Amino acid sequence: MAQHEERRRIGIRLSVAQYLITVLFSILAVSFWVLQVVQHAKFEEMAENNHQRTLPLRAPRGVVFDRNGRVLVENRPSYSISIVREPTKSLDRTVRLLAAVLGVDEAQIRETVDRHRREPSYRPITVVQDATLAQVAAVTARRLDSELPDVVVEDVPTRQYPADAVAAHLFGYVGEVNDAQVAGDTGLKSGDIVGQSGVEKVYNRLLMGKDGAKRVIVNSLGREIRVLDEEHPDEGNRLQLTVDSDVQRAIEDAFNASGFNGAAVILDPGNGEVLGFMSRPAYDPNAFATGIDRATWGALNTDELRPLQNRAIQGLYSPGSTFKMAVAMAALEENVITPDYQVRCAGSASFFGRSFKCWKRGGHGTVDLRQAIEQSCNVYFYTIGNMTGIHKIHKWATLLGLGEESGIDLPNEIQGLVPSPEWKQRRFKEKWYAGETISVAIGQGGVSLTPVSMAVYAATLANGGTRITPHLLKAVDDGNGWEAVPTPAPHSTVPLDPEKLQAIRDGLWGVVNGRGTGGRARVAGHDVSGKTGTAQVISNQGRLAARTNRDLRDNGWFVFFAPRDRPEIAGVVLLEHGMHGPNAASVARHIIDTYFAKKEGRPLPPAPTRAELRLDMSDPLGPKPTPRQDDPDPAPSATPSGQNTVTN
Amino acid sequence: MFERRLYYHIDWALLLAILALCALGVVMIYSTSADPIRGNSRLHVTQLYAIVLGVGLMVFMLALDYRTFADKSHWIYVGLLAILLYVLFFGQAQMGARRWISFGGFNLQPSEFAKVGVALVLAKFFGENRGSPGWSDLAIGGALTALPLALIAKEPDLGTAVTLLPVLLAVAYLAGMRMRVLGVLALSLVLAAPIVWKFALKDYQKSRISTFLDPSQDARGAGYQQIQARITVGSGGVQGKGFMQGTQGQLRFLPVAHNDFIFSVLAEEQGFAGVLVALGLYLFVILRALEAARLAKDRLGSYLVLGVLASFTFQVVYNITMSAGLAPVKGLTLPLMSYGGSSMVATLAAFGLVLNVRMRRFTN
Repeated sequence: MAQHEERRRIGIRLSVAQYLITVLFSILAVSFWVLQVVQHAKFEEMAENNHQRTLPLRAPRGVVFDRNGRVLVENRPSYSISIVREPTKSLDRTVRLLAAVLGVDEAQIRETVDRHRREPSYRPITVVQDATLAQVAAVTARRLDSELPDVVVEDVPTRQYPADAVAAHLFGYVGEVNDAQVAGDTGLKSGDIVGQSGVEKVYNRLLMGKDGAKRVIVNSLGREIRVLDEEHPDEGNRLQLTVDSDVQRAIEDAFNASGFNGAAVILDPGNGEVLGFMSRPAYDPNAFATGIDRATWGALNTDELRPLQNRAIQGLYSPGSTFKMAVAMAALEENVITPDYQVRCAGSASFFGRSFKCWKRGGHGTVDLRQAIEQSCNVYFYTIGNMTGIHKIHKWATLLGLGEESGIDLPNEIQGLVPSPEWKQRRFKEKWYAGETISVAIGQGGVSLTPVSMAVYAATLANGGTRITPHLLKAVDDGNGWEAVPTPAPHSTVPLDPEKLQAIRDGLWGVVNGRGTGGRARVAGHDVSGKTGTAQVISNQGRLAARTNRDLRDNGWFVFFAPRDRPEIAGVVLLEHGMHGPNAASVARHIIDTYFAKKEGRPLPPAPTRAELRLDMSDPLGPKPTPRQDDPDPAPSATPSGQNTVTN
Repeated sequence: MFERRLYYHIDWALLLAILALCALGVVMIYSTSADPIRGNSRLHVTQLYAIVLGVGLMVFMLALDYRTFADKSHWIYVGLLAILLYVLFFGQAQMGARRWISFGGFNLQPSEFAKVGVALVLAKFFGENRGSPGWSDLAIGGALTALPLALIAKEPDLGTAVTLLPVLLAVAYLAGMRMRVLGVLALSLVLAAPIVWKFALKDYQKSRISTFLDPSQDARGAGYQQIQARITVGSGGVQGKGFMQGTQGQLRFLPVAHNDFIFSVLAEEQGFAGVLVALGLYLFVILRALEAARLAKDRLGSYLVLGVLASFTFQVVYNITMSAGLAPVKGLTLPLMSYGGSSMVATLAAFGLVLNVRMRRFTN
């Protein structure tokens, strides 16, 4: 009986256990169903985030070539070291360890990380660009030890520009995209490297490639196990510039020898192709390519010489005597004078009750237009300027490209100024005085122009009236072969009367090949035609009175084309504080000589020495005032209207 | 001794289910430990040896009448205590714990065998008593359990130590302990919890429990495993990612995947389908063993089966719950599947006793 009772109890209790266990297992099954079926999508994504990393593969920017196919700007491989915060357990520890491993300031890394704190944690934060091999090795070793699983070494193509800041302002520089740029262009994302200046900026869209990506499987230590898929980066378009690297080299060499700052723009007057382009002082674009450090950036910005300014398109300078051809053109085309019109120069002339001096104390005697240009006679131009009037001078200067933007394919070009009564009314609410025209007639009195517009001016005189658009881009290769870029249309074409133009050209030819002031630019057999100019930075009286360390010496100009009758090269050389126009002619000579040597297959002339340039370093107002009697083409000693041309 | 007719009473279905789970375990161990970079691991081979050894011991446990074992249970018990003491003083220390005795090539973990020993001695003790056990019986039974439990907890191996408690509870329950007593026992456990929390638990144990309640508070530390376990299981889906294709297990996001988290890996690679198969097999094994308890010729047999089954079931349910990230992470393996020779041999030996009881239900 008890036995039976006991059996019954055991049976019941076992049944309870059976039910209990079955219920437990059912609960387990339901739990797994919830996790694996109901919430599957969520966990699948989490699992993928766990083990998949997307690493960007940086696209190299397009290589830039010169007109002969020589490489100007290319890319070199470099490594950057970045932190990917996603798998980071302690960012603080990582930063500390990384700083120690790299030998970099910890605070600097921390600041970089802080700056990108809000970005998604899978996006790498670059802490060191262009890392040394020692740094890369140190980090890689720590990665393999799993000490720094959250640090990646990225292979980044870095821009490489020619050494010695050659054509720095033409190429510009690249840098990390800023927030405003990202907001303004949907094609850009934070961290992208974009052109910030020069050709790099203007043609950024062409040059910028398309970054690729690599999806990799990593294990729990962050170690790469294998590549899941890889989207190759697309290299940016290759650009061929109109620039000739030999001409460019010649510009740089000649400026190096001269020791002056300034600008030069050399064009093909037929179509506006820029053969050479320079602004000095320059900066090293390579310093920007790897993320410029703060000290260098600060120094560039506070430097009084403003090396970041592109003087060729952003510097405004009084043109001085180089403006005279515009006055002559206006007088001829408006039929105010003929080329044979003569003026007697007695060393000075009186207009509206004031005396205006010529630079040659004794005067030039009786000169016609050709001689007046050749000898840069101020009195002649005072006279015909007065006869022509400011309206016509302004009109023709504009037609020749002066006081206008050239439209060159570089960013932030500024417009020069050729004064006019309308302008004066607008600007100063004052009426124009006839006396001011006299100053304008010799390129003073508020005329302020960019070197590039002076180059256009030279080209327009050279090609007979077509105001070409200077441009740098010749062809683009998007991967399917080179495709020529159409020449931009000229701004205007005014058929200049060949006979009248010839008179001016003859005068310019005489400047270089006759008794004129540009003899140092002579290249045998090539009929170089040009005009020097010496323009005050400040009036002589002002300069004598000034108590400043600023360089107030005169600027030297040379605008030219060659050969006279079938010009194929035109341009401008400006020497900032170059003191005398003829010094600019010396610099220009090497450029022109190089151009023709190359064309004829002669060996290129070697870089000139300073002595070979035969610079005239005499300063009429310098410590030893030794005014030279026949200083060719000095700045006129008075600016009658009282407006000083302090332009830079 | 081993009569030929007994052969026909062996529960082949149960045996087959057990071996199926063992095979599943070996396959999953292979999947998690095979490393193409470092060359093939031998873990699955070791596990196969353990299974062969375990089946051998199982045959031995079948060969003798379970009553013989029960009669010798006090000696077995004393021997067990001796070995546990030995381990405590001379055992192989690994990661701050002395749990193993080293025999040249392999390590033996005596605590795994303690479960069988305690089941035997408790079955024998309660089986000798007639009627429902009183407080004094319970106290003696408790003491019998507490002794090895304390020794194992001292190693320290709290996980294994705790698995002895279900043995006592299950045997006492089947022996007819009043439900009221059971209730008091459960209540005192609940009341003891804060005291245990305060005095008995080590910091890492406390943190495991507190992280369980809120895994995100320490997503990179103790909560990490729990979150990863859920991701592992959840990402498996219905079909699973395929054999050796589980990213969580293969890429070591889950620690000790071949051991404590083998069920997570199964869930990841074989999906909900695989989970259902494994759960079904375990449920079948347990219910089939309960059937043996029901069919047993005597109380001793029933108690013995349930005692053995109690720790097994507790471990299975706890480990699977933990595998899904639904219980605090604890070093409890999944019997029959997890990698581990001692556990495998001890479990198979224990099931030898279960088969033994069923097989001999008609003998005298």
